[in-house]
Amino acid sequence: MTPAAMILSSAIWIALVVLGLAFLLTVRRVVIGPTLPDRVVALDMLVGIVIGFIALIAIRTGFTLYIDIAISLGLVGFLATVAFARFILARGGRAPAPPQPADFVPAGLVPTAQSPKPSGKRKAEPPAPPRRKKSR
Amino acid sequence: MIELVLAILIATLILVGAAFALVAAIGLNRLPDVYTRMHAASKAGTVGSGLMLIAVGLHAGDVATLARALAGFFFFVLTAPISAHLLAMAALKMGYPLASHTVRDEMQNHREAI
Amino acid sequence: MITFLLSLIFAVIWVAVTGSASVQNLILGFALSTFALWIVREEASGQAYMRRVWRIFSLLMLFFKELALSAWKVAVLVASPRMPLKPGIFAFPLTVDRDFEITLLASLITLTPGTLSVDVSADRKLLFVHALDCSNVDATKRDIAQGFEKKIIEAFR
Repeated sequence: MTPAAMILSSAIWIALVVLGLAFLLTVRRVVIGPTLPDRVVALDMLVGIVIGFIALIAIRTGFTLYIDIAISLGLVGFLATVAFARFILARGGRAPAPPQPADFVPAGLVPTAQSPKPSGKRKAEPPAPPRRKKSR
Repeated sequence: MIELVLAILIATLILVGAAFALVAAIGLNRLPDVYTRMHAASKAGTVGSGLMLIAVGLHAGDVATLARALAGFFFFVLTAPISAHLLAMAALKMGYPLASHTVRDEMQNHREAI
Repeated sequence: MITFLLSLIFAVIWVAVTGSASVQNLILGFALSTFALWIVREEASGQAYMRRVWRIFSLLMLFFKELALSAWKVAVLVASPRMPLKPGIFAFPLTVDRDFEITLLASLITLTPGTLSVDVSADRKLLFVHALDCSNVDATKRDIAQGFEKKIIEAFR
């Protein structure tokens, strides 16, 4: 084994361990993440870490075709995140509020409660579940 | 000799990329709210995976692969801010709260308008 | 002359990207780039175009510098034991007004140290930016206005 190959393979091993650790930490955030956007951010991050894994495997095996796989995975991850963002917007009002300290919501930060327009609209409607209807 | 230098360069890129990914994951767990977590994921995460892709391109040692790896890197750098921006906007519009020690929020007067 | 030089450069890039360095491929690349340059012949003639290319290039360089810096800053912040965090949202008054420029500026801001663009106000006068460190907002605003925004205006006006 030449020194160059040795350096490379040990670097790949260390990086695999580090990435594995990062993966586990991100999965922790996906599992406990108190809100939906938290989970989406963590899922986005997972895609990035998996791209790192794919790159390492590409170097280990020497198949450069893995680059295309990584790029397509990145594309899918981007589209998934965009779709999730649209979903968060379309779903409307906040899901059951996560248990948080009382000072967590600074005064005046909940927009729909005091804004005159949406609340006026909501009064006209029959008692519906708290979600805003948007045309998009 | 050149082989050794190249190997060291690739190893450095791999290790730095992995370290950035780890830092982003730690940040994801330590930071207090969605918006600050987005900072960690969109910057350190993108740079981490991008560096590793460039390492693959260098390792393959031919121009076509390097060009593709660079194209992939550009692609990630282009898409990361867009998805982060979209998520932040969606979360803010839907009223997900900022962390308790947020020092200023100049947007709250405008939030009814959007 | 300059068109010829540009198509030669584009042909070489074409060969590099397609990955087969044969004469036929070079000729094909040359033909393609000549055709592409012929389409944009109005814009691509003369000194102004070259200056603009150079400015876009310098914007790109600034961007990569800031990207590296920003990843490093986030890393240092996260790794420090106490995390001196002062997050907040500030409103950045926009000078640029075209859609494309606002989009570009917002994306660039997202990838720079400690800032993340969140939204544009309805009248497109304000860009709302979430920052990790809001202790000196005026300095941050000044940095953006004299860095990216100035360069964008130089490059695309």
